[in-house]
Amino acid sequence: MPIDDAEQRYGAVAQALHWSIAALIVVQFVLAKMAAGLPLGLHKLVLLARHKSFGMTILVLAVLRLVWRLFNRPPPPPARMSRFDRGVALGTHAALYTLLFAMPLTGWMMSSAKNYSVSWFNLFTWPNLIGPSAASFKLLRDTHHLLSKLLLAVVVLHILAALKHHFWNRDGVLLRMLPFAHARSRR
Amino acid sequence: MRPRRGSRIIALCCAAAASMAAAACTAPAAAAPVPVPAPAPAPALAAPVAYATIAAQSHLTFTGVQAGAPFTAVFRRFRAAIDFSPEALAQSRFDVVIEMQSVDSRDEDRDGTMRGADIFSVARWPTAHYVTHSFEKTAAGFEAMGSLTLRGVTRDVPIAFQFAATRGGATLKGAAEVKRLDFGVGQGDWKSTEWIGNDVKIDFSLALTPKH
Repeated sequence: MPIDDAEQRYGAVAQALHWSIAALIVVQFVLAKMAAGLPLGLHKLVLLARHKSFGMTILVLAVLRLVWRLFNRPPPPPARMSRFDRGVALGTHAALYTLLFAMPLTGWMMSSAKNYSVSWFNLFTWPNLIGPSAASFKLLRDTHHLLSKLLLAVVVLHILAALKHHFWNRDGVLLRMLPFAHARSRR
Repeated sequence: MRPRRGSRIIALCCAAAASMAAAACTAPAAAAPVPVPAPAPAPALAAPVAYATIAAQSHLTFTGVQAGAPFTAVFRRFRAAIDFSPEALAQSRFDVVIEMQSVDSRDEDRDGTMRGADIFSVARWPTAHYVTHSFEKTAAGFEAMGSLTLRGVTRDVPIAFQFAATRGGATLKGAAEVKRLDFGVGQGDWKSTEWIGNDVKIDFSLALTPKH
């Protein structure tokens, strides 16, 4: 498999970034759900500390992904995709990228507003983005929660679209992002 | 607002005598016949000045590490009686009472947790108390040795500080380091030092005005 994006497939770097971010998003939802069910205490603090460390990791990976994408254009959509489908795909991907930045950034700001600086796995501390403020915290927390629901919806759409391409359109779009798939074209 | 003139003159005389004595001592190889001045009588004439803090310009903070990231909290209410003069260290004394309920880390959840039974337990121990035993001049300023009573546990805690006279008063800035678990600050889950650091740094900056 080539490292950079080939004509019909995503390369190793784009795939590694895609799947590691995907896995971390799953971890993030699980950690957030576990923490939400806990009373204030050390266990909650630890879960949220890990949530923040993974969130900052996603932010860094999202930056890398975007930069990589600017210099390595992804494979073009299948020629027979309709204008409408292309529009939906573009919108979904734009929403995913936006949320990949918006989720960690609102989380980071939320921590800053609560005067809890964000550590990265106890190795170093990120600077606070804004000053402490209970009102800002509430607003950012609600935004972070709302965006998480939006992210869940867009991820579901993304997965359903990939499955539709694979089983309905049979155009190999899903295989372009699968590391172990043969680069066969179903067109 | 200032020390009485008489006491200042006496202090100056004592300081002069002491510096002469010191000069004599630091020159041991000098010729033998140099007359050695009689040792200064060192009477307890230099008295420390009794100060009160100007609350609005005085701050007492501590910084701990939580989940790998430092956080700083202040105590909004504390009383500090500072009897101090650089010329009268033996008679100087700090007596500080901190209202633990007034802890403020800019987050109600954390403040509530810290006031609770497992951390400061303010219902049982509403105040912390620091009182000095002795003072020393150091290269950077002064060091005080004193006892800190926190959460019912008393331990010696040294503090390093700088003292500067200002127009109409003085400023006192310094720091100390404590291990929170020495005082039982953190029971149950909070005993873990993996997520809540044991080392806590205390910083203070006091604006002092002489008591009348």
